[in-house]
Amino acid sequence: MKTSVNSLSFAPAKKSRVPLAEIDVRGADAARKLGRVLPSSTGRPVQASTFNSAL
Amino acid sequence: MTAPVVPFREIVLKVHSRCDLACDHCYIYEAPDQSWRTRPKAISDEAISWTARRLAEHAEKHVLPSVSVILHGGEPLLAGPARLRRVCEELTAALDGVAELDLRIHTNGLQLSSRYLDLFDEFGVKVGISLDGDRSANDRHRRFADGRTSHPLVLKAVELLQSERYRHLFLGLLCTIDVANDPVAVHDALIALDPPRIDYLLPHATWDAPPARPAGSPTEYAEWILAVFDRWEEQGRPVPVRLFESVLSTLNGGPSLTESLGLAPTDLVVVETDGSLEQVDSLKSAYDGAAATGFDVFRHSFDEVAAHPGVRVRQLGLAGVGPECRECPVVRSCGGGLYTHRYRSANEAAGRAPFDGPSVYCEDLEALVRGIETRTATRLVPGALADPGELVAAENELTRTLLARLHADLAGRGGVEWAEAWRLTALVDGPGLDEVLTHPYARSWLLTTLEALRTGRSDAVAHAHRLAAYTAAAAVRGRLDVPVTVGYADGRLVLPTLGELRVGAEGESGRAEVVAAEKGFRVRGERFELEVECPREPCGDWLPVRGLGRDGAPDPALDDLDPYRDCFGTAVLPRLGLAEADEWSGRLGAAWGLLSATVPGHAAAAAAALTTLTPLAGAGETVAGRHGYGALGVPVGLTGDALALGLLRGFRRARFRALRDVADLYALDGGWLHRADWHEEPVPVSVLLAETHERVAVAAYDRSARTLAETRRALEALQGAAELTVGGKSLVADVLSEWEEAARG
Repeated sequence: MKTSVNSLSFAPAKKSRVPLAEIDVRGADAARKLGRVLPSSTGRPVQASTFNSAL
Repeated sequence: MTAPVVPFREIVLKVHSRCDLACDHCYIYEAPDQSWRTRPKAISDEAISWTARRLAEHAEKHVLPSVSVILHGGEPLLAGPARLRRVCEELTAALDGVAELDLRIHTNGLQLSSRYLDLFDEFGVKVGISLDGDRSANDRHRRFADGRTSHPLVLKAVELLQSERYRHLFLGLLCTIDVANDPVAVHDALIALDPPRIDYLLPHATWDAPPARPAGSPTEYAEWILAVFDRWEEQGRPVPVRLFESVLSTLNGGPSLTESLGLAPTDLVVVETDGSLEQVDSLKSAYDGAAATGFDVFRHSFDEVAAHPGVRVRQLGLAGVGPECRECPVVRSCGGGLYTHRYRSANEAAGRAPFDGPSVYCEDLEALVRGIETRTATRLVPGALADPGELVAAENELTRTLLARLHADLAGRGGVEWAEAWRLTALVDGPGLDEVLTHPYARSWLLTTLEALRTGRSDAVAHAHRLAAYTAAAAVRGRLDVPVTVGYADGRLVLPTLGELRVGAEGESGRAEVVAAEKGFRVRGERFELEVECPREPCGDWLPVRGLGRDGAPDPALDDLDPYRDCFGTAVLPRLGLAEADEWSGRLGAAWGLLSATVPGHAAAAAAALTTLTPLAGAGETVAGRHGYGALGVPVGLTGDALALGLLRGFRRARFRALRDVADLYALDGGWLHRADWHEEPVPVSVLLAETHERVAVAAYDRSARTLAETRRALEALQGAAELTVGGKSLVADVLSEWEEAARG
């Protein structure tokens, strides 16, 4: 029985990392990402007009 | 129809009912509905005031964060600056403090001048302009009554909007398609004006008045739009095109972005110049009075209109489209097309509602969706589906986003303790923190804490304060000289991924400073100072997280210490004794051996992915719980073949959960039900896909002819499932390859 922890076993091969303090948690991307694991209402993005005859 | 009312978020306000152009494709003046003839030319003061009042009460009642008001016509600029100022002032005042007001205007641009644009700048009114392409394309329909071209005046308006002073108000260009025009020339002409956004509209048509098809092709409009799409791609997608973005969004499982596509419930209402409340005005293309509701802003609330049967039927999603559409694999993207385009008066004679059928553009819409999917599928598939390393990276990114979200949600409620831990976390943000946050139970901690905050539980902030333990563990792993003060409870200080240190008697709690040392770390409390020289070895009061590998077997961590490991919905065991752990390690090694001999590909994938095993009581099923990728709850009573199969099943469950957490595999889950031979009742696609993904691996292990036959039928059902996104389809294709390999034996 080994008693040592596999010290690097949890680390991913890391690509470029956005610093924690700079992660946007309110934008559409974050809403979609978090919406898969949090029971929040993602709903329709604010200020996205869907009217066919206008933008 | 008992579903709750869908509140209106978008109001189309007709501020003027006449136009200074005489476009022969106009749905207001050239359509069967001629109600414009009896309406006031400009909206009255009274109608403006009541609209503002109704909108504010609607926004307040439904707690809407924002509402959009689109000033429309006819030609809205004909209302004149004074009337438009009044509209802007009344709406702004009524919505102040109630909801954010997003004001827009859609114009032909002929009257646009600094006089208007200064007003729009004052109230933040954004401007969209209609333009059908290059001069010859635009002149095909967009002319004055005397036949003169409008093109130079529109270009002048666009030029003014593009000036530095007004550029921020420019929304983009709206182009109505005529297949007689050259699609590339049209698109290039629009792109040359450098608009912030473009949309292409199908000309309004119904089964009673079908669209022109000069080449006789049933997919003439799709071919035209796809030619534009190819050009847009070739140009590197220089500006967003709403039509394309909507299809790309729905192919990926996202929402549709226009009412002309997709199954999103309609949330817009039209206010005419006389204060009448109407349904979407393109219905005027169907028959006289098609848009009318009988309501007006003076006597009726927006809720009353929202409950109108004509509005409700466009809020039913899949249930609101005809039976042919419900069976169609592209219905999530096309949504049966624009409601207006489904109109067929002959339906009534056949006992069907006039809008209860496919669009007159049905074949075009299918060809368009499939054409965009074919062109982009390989690029749309999330990397996490094809590359295990990408999956781990995406999972880590998700955990980091959850941590950032926790910081935002706390909004100061974490006090000084959180603020200090957050500050230090930024200092240790590097490989050490990645190792700690990639540990599956870091996700469990974050989900538990966010849930506690969301539901107002009293222990939410205490959960949040565990951040310091993760930060300290990251500093120790990264050998960073960053002292972190960590709370301990019950005499035990737990550093995630490292282990647990006994610092006091049972029931004792407090705070201690943890700092990395040359090889291990030191812990200093009020009445103690301890050093763990080698965190990988047990010594004194230090219990490390242990490894399970031996004799060359995979070496996941045995995590029977983490406070957040209890996330499997079944009891986790307390720390295993040395002999117990040793025996379990031996059994796991033997099980890995069986897997490697029987399904080497699956075994290697599982060994690479599973970083953490947590012992569960009994001999039931292995469980993937509410944690990050890599953990599995394994009953210690399992042995031999059952343990090998349990590891394989558990790995596939964990993988599927992880994929679902970082990629949209399906949308509208439950919209359809599917047969699965191993269930008595039909199941939603989420269940069929998860279980087929698991059972194909099991079939590879046990070579059961029955499982192979059942999963083959399930895969065939999945291949035709409308719910699947491009990612979901890619996963099904991968599982089919695995099935074929399993069938070859």
